[in-house]
Amino acid sequence: MDSQLREIWATAPGTPFQPTVGKDTQFTVAFTLLLLGVALFGGFALNRSFINIPLLGVPASLALAVGTVYMFCAPPLFKAIASSTRQIYQLLKCISFTAKVHVQITQDGIRFAADHSRVMQGRIPIGGCLLKVQETKTERSPQFQINLAAFLEALQIFGASDVAAKQAKADAEPYRSNLRNYRPDAFSHQTLGVPGTCCLLYEEDGSPLSIILEETGVKTRCNMVTYTPEQPDDIPFDRDDLAFKIIMHSKWLLDSLSELAPMSPTRITISASPNAPYLALSSGGALGSASVDFTSGRDLLDTFTIDTKWTQSFKFDLVKSATEAMRVASKVSFRGDGQGVLSLQFMVEVEGGTTSFLDFRFVPYIAQDDDEIDTDEEEEV
Amino acid sequence: MVLLRFTLSEEGVNALRDALACLNKFSDEVSLEAKRDKLVFTALNSSKSAYAAFSFASNRFFSKYHYEGIAQNREKFFCKLYNRALLSLFRARTGDSLHDPEKGGSAIERCDVAIEDEAGKKSRFIVKIACRNGMTTKYRLPFEVSPPVHAKFDRNEAFNSWTISSRTLRQLMDHFGPGIEYLDIHSEDDSTVNFTCFTEKVASGDEVLKKPLHTSIAVEKDEFDTFDVSEDKLHIVVSVKDFRAITQHAAFLGSEVSAQYSMPSRPMQIRYDGDGVKCEFLLMTVGERGAPGQRAKKTRAGAKPAPRAQQLEAAASRATSNAPTPAPRPTPATRREPMPSLRPTAPRQSQRPPPATLDHESLFVPQDDDYQWEPVRMNEDEDEEEADARLEWDASDRPNPSAVKMSSVIVNQTAQRSGPGPDNGMDQDQSLSYLEPTQRLSQARQFGLFND
Repeated sequence: MDSQLREIWATAPGTPFQPTVGKDTQFTVAFTLLLLGVALFGGFALNRSFINIPLLGVPASLALAVGTVYMFCAPPLFKAIASSTRQIYQLLKCISFTAKVHVQITQDGIRFAADHSRVMQGRIPIGGCLLKVQETKTERSPQFQINLAAFLEALQIFGASDVAAKQAKADAEPYRSNLRNYRPDAFSHQTLGVPGTCCLLYEEDGSPLSIILEETGVKTRCNMVTYTPEQPDDIPFDRDDLAFKIIMHSKWLLDSLSELAPMSPTRITISASPNAPYLALSSGGALGSASVDFTSGRDLLDTFTIDTKWTQSFKFDLVKSATEAMRVASKVSFRGDGQGVLSLQFMVEVEGGTTSFLDFRFVPYIAQDDDEIDTDEEEEV
Repeated sequence: MVLLRFTLSEEGVNALRDALACLNKFSDEVSLEAKRDKLVFTALNSSKSAYAAFSFASNRFFSKYHYEGIAQNREKFFCKLYNRALLSLFRARTGDSLHDPEKGGSAIERCDVAIEDEAGKKSRFIVKIACRNGMTTKYRLPFEVSPPVHAKFDRNEAFNSWTISSRTLRQLMDHFGPGIEYLDIHSEDDSTVNFTCFTEKVASGDEVLKKPLHTSIAVEKDEFDTFDVSEDKLHIVVSVKDFRAITQHAAFLGSEVSAQYSMPSRPMQIRYDGDGVKCEFLLMTVGERGAPGQRAKKTRAGAKPAPRAQQLEAAASRATSNAPTPAPRPTPATRREPMPSLRPTAPRQSQRPPPATLDHESLFVPQDDDYQWEPVRMNEDEDEEEADARLEWDASDRPNPSAVKMSSVIVNQTAQRSGPGPDNGMDQDQSLSYLEPTQRLSQARQFGLFND
């Protein structure tokens, strides 16, 4: 018995299972069968006689039954599986500055985009090793909006059973748990690698986005309401007309923003120039003005390419809402184009040696509108 | 023109931050006074019951110190700054342990401070902080040129004194929980000193305890380095909030704390020194508890005299300082005019001739300054006998008002009078009810009153 099973197992890869009805056509087949079943059933209901039982009744029920089965089997528009949600959660947290995010399903993953009144955009493509796409309709890329806070909440369920188990253990043995609470648990499912899966499922246009979390025998299914997409255009950023490009550690950017923050500024002026100070961030607020420059720290910047002096000012709160990204990222590519649009691309190193990218774009204040403020700040700097 | 320029090392920044954090517990604003040989930061709290001064020696504390001075006043330069801004820019910055691990935990390489003041240009307090990683941050803060208010303390009068190690003191204070207002220090007998913490705040609502906690710690006199109190069982009561702020800072420096005082309701001086830093505090002490009637008489008698003009060191621009306006009003206060009645009136002052026992240089608002805020009182004598007038001098740590404008301070104080005031506030309230409101309740609320 045992050996037989092994043989079957061994031969299995040679003969892959081929469904009689191809995956792509399952939906059409199911739909026609159901339609046929309903029609036959209607005919039978109108003219009930013994002759019609085998002629209409039995085929009707058969068509309905098989059609329903195929309908269930019909592949969804999109299905992807992740083995851990922590990184996805961490990445999505970076664009949590708006309530709803725009979701676009692409061939190799999901692209989340947040838009703040068309002057700030944050985009995160999630795919690759974080999210393995199992099924997707290649010809279409469905778009919709979801509530990000609810989505993040749902992702946090993953691993919750672990916490619950730990809690139960702690309740049972208060002495031991008090003693070693701080230690990472060697028997947690995370460390043991007990398989748990997070499955994202989008059946068809307009259907809810389902998150199915399965671990240690607990299966949670969260259905997120999807909203009609608003179709926000991307903020145009002209890669061919780059004014400057700087790559540096995102921590420096975070540090410099935290230097400016205490003065509670409303706007931040970013200027890049070919000579000292190469990159300067300045702002003025109610308490005073502050400026950070990288004059003596040219080695802080990994690469520095610039044509002419570039000075633009942005709303400080918007730039500040990218701080979460600066915290998790390792490097930032800091670019500005001829129109003054600022692009911040963050490289986030994910566990397992792969990298994800976060993309933020900011539209500057129009320069001539605030000449006097500009000169004021110029003087301050 | 740069009036003053100095450079701080990282340790200097840390020491300055500790000092500013301590000053922040007294007042929102900090006064800076620069001289050729020292730089002094002072703060006086809004009720003028506590004063703190940190004096940094220019030759020891700073890596560089250059005082230029201004044409009008070569001797010293003074200004007022908003403490929260200073604290945030001198805050601790964690170094990048990833990139230079040997310097991990420290980020500031040096800090240059310059004060610019020139006609036609913006007057700014400029701080330039150079981090180890090469980033340079430059802050420009506005300041207000106004003379600082200094508290004076007569050492000759203070015949009681003790010194104690700051760590011991800190440990003692750690025993007292939250929600206490006053600290009573008194010597029990020859060998022990009692530290008693209590509150006079009456708990409201469903809380059972009316006067929550009375914590007492007996300390051996040996714990004190010196203890020289002439009068036995002399109860000296100070505000815990202020005292805690001092002990916390003193523990950072780890030096010896010395206190000097004379008697209840007279200021107490606390001093200690650090490396290049001299710290001096004056706390008003609350009249002794236990013998209210007798004490009340004493403090009241003490308070009446001091003419206001002599209370504070000369302050050129009264309008900007927190000091009470000295100008006495010739017209006696009437109930129809609530605002003028807030000022001390000349006839009333003449009614109370100053007793000779007290010096005229007391910094603090007289203990019974209730008088100046309220309308003319008919039954003075009866009130004098009132035994429940416990704390004439308001030492409560009420939240600081904006502490910038004179008017707001006055309004705040009126508001407090009409709010839950001292114990004898009942009849005051009645007399106040005739007054026209001077202010909306919502305005008073923004000062943090009536919150509870």
